Amino acid sequence: MQHEEDDKVEGGRHVTEGRTEKQVLEQLSNEERALLKRVLEIERAKLHLSAYDATDDLLDAVREILP
Amino acid sequence: MKLHSITLTNFRQFKGVQTFDLSSDTIKPVSLLFGANGAGKTTFLNAFTWALYGSMSEDVEQQDRMVTDSVWRELPMGDSAEVAVELRFDHEGRDYRLLRTATVRKESDQQGTPSPEVHLWVTKSDGSSEIVGAPQETIYSILPRGVSRFFFFNGERIENLVKKGAYAEVQKDIKVLLDLEQVERAIAHLPKVDRKLTAELKKHGGDKASEIQDAIDTLTERQTTGREELKLLEGDLATLVKERDSVTDLLRQHAEAAPIQAERDAVTKELEEARAARDAAIAERAHLVATRGFLAFTDRLGEATQAMADSLYQKGALPAPLKREFVDQLLEDGKCICGTELAEHSEPWEHVKDWRQRAGLQAVETAWQQLSGQIAPLSGARDELRDQLAALMKRIGAERDRVARLEERKSELDGKLKNSPMEVVADLETKRMDLDNRIGIKNQKKGAVESELGTIAKDIEAKTKERSRAEVTDELAAKARSRSDLVQSVKRALEAILAIREEDMRKRLDAELKAVFGSITHQNHVPTLSEGFELTLHKNVGGVELPVPKSTGENQILSLSFVAAVSKLAREIRKERRAEGDGAVDAGTYPIVMDAAFGSLDQDYQEAVSRALAKMAPQLVVLVSKSQGLGKVVTELMPYVSHLGVIETHTTAPGSVADDIELEGLAYPYIRSADSDHSELKVIK
Repeated sequence: MQHEEDDKVEGGRHVTEGRTEKQVLEQLSNEERALLKRVLEIERAKLHLSAYDATDDLLDAVREILP
Repeated sequence: MKLHSITLTNFRQFKGVQTFDLSSDTIKPVSLLFGANGAGKTTFLNAFTWALYGSMSEDVEQQDRMVTDSVWRELPMGDSAEVAVELRFDHEGRDYRLLRTATVRKESDQQGTPSPEVHLWVTKSDGSSEIVGAPQETIYSILPRGVSRFFFFNGERIENLVKKGAYAEVQKDIKVLLDLEQVERAIAHLPKVDRKLTAELKKHGGDKASEIQDAIDTLTERQTTGREELKLLEGDLATLVKERDSVTDLLRQHAEAAPIQAERDAVTKELEEARAARDAAIAERAHLVATRGFLAFTDRLGEATQAMADSLYQKGALPAPLKREFVDQLLEDGKCICGTELAEHSEPWEHVKDWRQRAGLQAVETAWQQLSGQIAPLSGARDELRDQLAALMKRIGAERDRVARLEERKSELDGKLKNSPMEVVADLETKRMDLDNRIGIKNQKKGAVESELGTIAKDIEAKTKERSRAEVTDELAAKARSRSDLVQSVKRALEAILAIREEDMRKRLDAELKAVFGSITHQNHVPTLSEGFELTLHKNVGGVELPVPKSTGENQILSLSFVAAVSKLAREIRKERRAEGDGAVDAGTYPIVMDAAFGSLDQDYQEAVSRALAKMAPQLVVLVSKSQGLGKVVTELMPYVSHLGVIETHTTAPGSVADDIELEGLAYPYIRSADSDHSELKVIK
């Protein structure tokens, strides 16, 4: 991710001031954007399952994008 | 999600099979159903939640008696009766048929608890239908259970949405509805993925990479522990603050303590303002000293510079009669202006070279020209700085005095309550002080944990950068490292998106809430949705924002406004460019089904709420009684109604109980005498 100097760390989490979601996405590489989209799809599909462990599905997604 | 129809089979009061058409369009989004008390309006509302989730709201009594009483009574012992609700709807471009059904076998006069089964069919593009394998899971993914409370509700109970203590739960549901939950989950799950990847890196990556990874792992563990601790602290703090607020509320309500508490509230508010004003003045002074403070030390400097320049003038060095650059040029050209050749180390050459030492530099003269003009204004700027500092010092002093005075006043009031002859008041104040102290301690701990987490996050980032630079020869390890880097940057991006979405959602919900609430209420009250999703109501008195207690009616309007705002935002956000990519055309669209929409509102509010209702959601099913729904409500709503119906009450009650309802100039049966107690859904238009 570029422009990391824009990020600040608050409570251990990265917060970015003044950026929009669109800008965050634009600053990602193609692989990063693809993984981010895939991760959200996976999580959204299983939102109603509290016991769901996403690790393996997410790992597969990473391996698909960076084979 | 858009509703097409609902069919009830022996569902509580609704005997036999009864269907009501709910299909509507954007011009006429409303289905309006009238029903007397006990006709089954609440049952009708609960038929939706029973079909979707298999449960009904707590206010439905005798939940075991699902089959219509008269059907059950007529049923021979050993035979079975069916109870069912079928819902037809479309969602994100697909048509669904949902059926929840239970067969109850009669073994005694008492009905046994039914075990309903749920079936879901989806219509394919060729018109054929296909059964959905995981019906309940699919329903949850269409409309999560918690979120349904915003769309299927009882107007009289809806104020619970905005009651104290409900925020945490409401916030969680809103997160699901507004697409925040999946981001949070992804952020929680990605570190697990990363751990698996880095395990591979450690296995194949050699000593250096393993060592760095070990350090990252340790930091990550500390980060996890820290975050858990922070969560606990935040939970504890919320509980303590809630407790302190309720104790303070008790003091506000106590006859003896109320006036003192009211004064303390005002003093506390003013004290906060005074402290803020004092801190602002101190910050301003710091800024002035940091940016212009050097001017104070320029007194001698100006004089000294002037003296130096004067002496140069006296010596004739300023302005320089001869420029060093000119002499250098002569020496380089090897020829004087008089034509004499200047051979190196010859007498004429040495002569001209002597002049070089006496010549002035062009740069010095230029600098002096620029500087000389500024010596006089420097003195003016010094005076200005002194004046500004004096004014600031005066302001700081005044604010400090105000803070001290208010602190004294507040301590006095604290003491009055603490030492009150009324034991209850003294006890409450002691408890409040104790809670205040505990909140202070927790806040300190929270600050420490947050700062540690900040350091850890920076350390992890540094170590990760170090890891990218470390030499890794093994191909598997290199792959694992690239994957881990990818996961980490996606996690960082998701954290940024979460922060952006959270703040954006809250601001937009707040703005929408203000707009809807303002269009309904005739009071000068303004709702605010705080960062913790707490809903408060304020009024502006002479430029000062004061909290106002919410009446039941206002709570209802506030809740309705909140639902309207949530409903609108859920639709809007899915149309914007988002990380998830484009959604379906109707993504985020949900119907609102409401019972007793007008609860205990007076006539004026009923009219305003009716007006707002039609614009609240893309589809609305409104259930009202004659007393609530006639008059202004019907006048306001009717232009938007596509289906009008009556839940006809059939009763075995003795005497002349028959009643009609007049709608659009025609009378329709409202209550009728009958052989059995049941209700019938009648379509009027």
